[in-house]
Amino acid sequence: MHHSTKKWLFTKFSSVLLIPLLFWFIVSLSSIYDGAYVDLINFFSKTSSKFLYSSLLITAFSFFSLTISEVFEDYIKDERTKNVATKMLYIFAIFIPLITIFSIINLN
Amino acid sequence: MYEKNPLSPHLQIYRWQISSLLSITHRIVGIINIIAITLICIWTISLLFGEQNYEVIKNFFQSIFGKFIIISLNWTFSFHILNEIRHLIWDLGYGFDLKISKITGLMTIIGSLVLTILLYLFGRGLI
Repeated sequence: MHHSTKKWLFTKFSSVLLIPLLFWFIVSLSSIYDGAYVDLINFFSKTSSKFLYSSLLITAFSFFSLTISEVFEDYIKDERTKNVATKMLYIFAIFIPLITIFSIINLN
Repeated sequence: MYEKNPLSPHLQIYRWQISSLLSITHRIVGIINIIAITLICIWTISLLFGEQNYEVIKNFFQSIFGKFIIISLNWTFSFHILNEIRHLIWDLGYGFDLKISKITGLMTIIGSLVLTILLYLFGRGLI
């Protein structure tokens, strides 16, 4: 299978996965955004919340990095600049979810 | 070599259509959403620093502006969900007819507003 085909399929797979996760996320965000500190800790202490929130972050940042790397592909002409921008994007897309997941694991 | 390539007319000269409007909005909303998720990640991480630090964020979200931000984010996420479903249907080979495309475009705009209200009320336990 061609590299671009794999990338397209992975983008579509992550977008399908994102739909139910975003529904859960919007409802959860609406319910907890102005809650007390204890309520938020209780919310993030639940295994289901940890699992769904972690899944959302991994999927959302994967989808984001795949789609933005395509934008770089279309609009950045210089190969070196494009490679640096893509690498920075991937580092960002790995680093942010990773430290957030690590944080919610430690919330009790 | 790139400089010699012919350029297409600038975006501004085209008449606005629902397809172009949704395409541009989809990209802008996608960027807003990832910035929002990144800020929500920072908000989550800030919980580790204790209750006193959280009070500042809580006060912000309890303000009218804070609520406006959350409802606006509900719309950006709702819009992205519905327009992404539209794109997935196109990927399956359906909905390319001009009339159908306009109808699904309108359904995305109206549906995203309805979905925003429903999901917010559902999240607040009001329905």
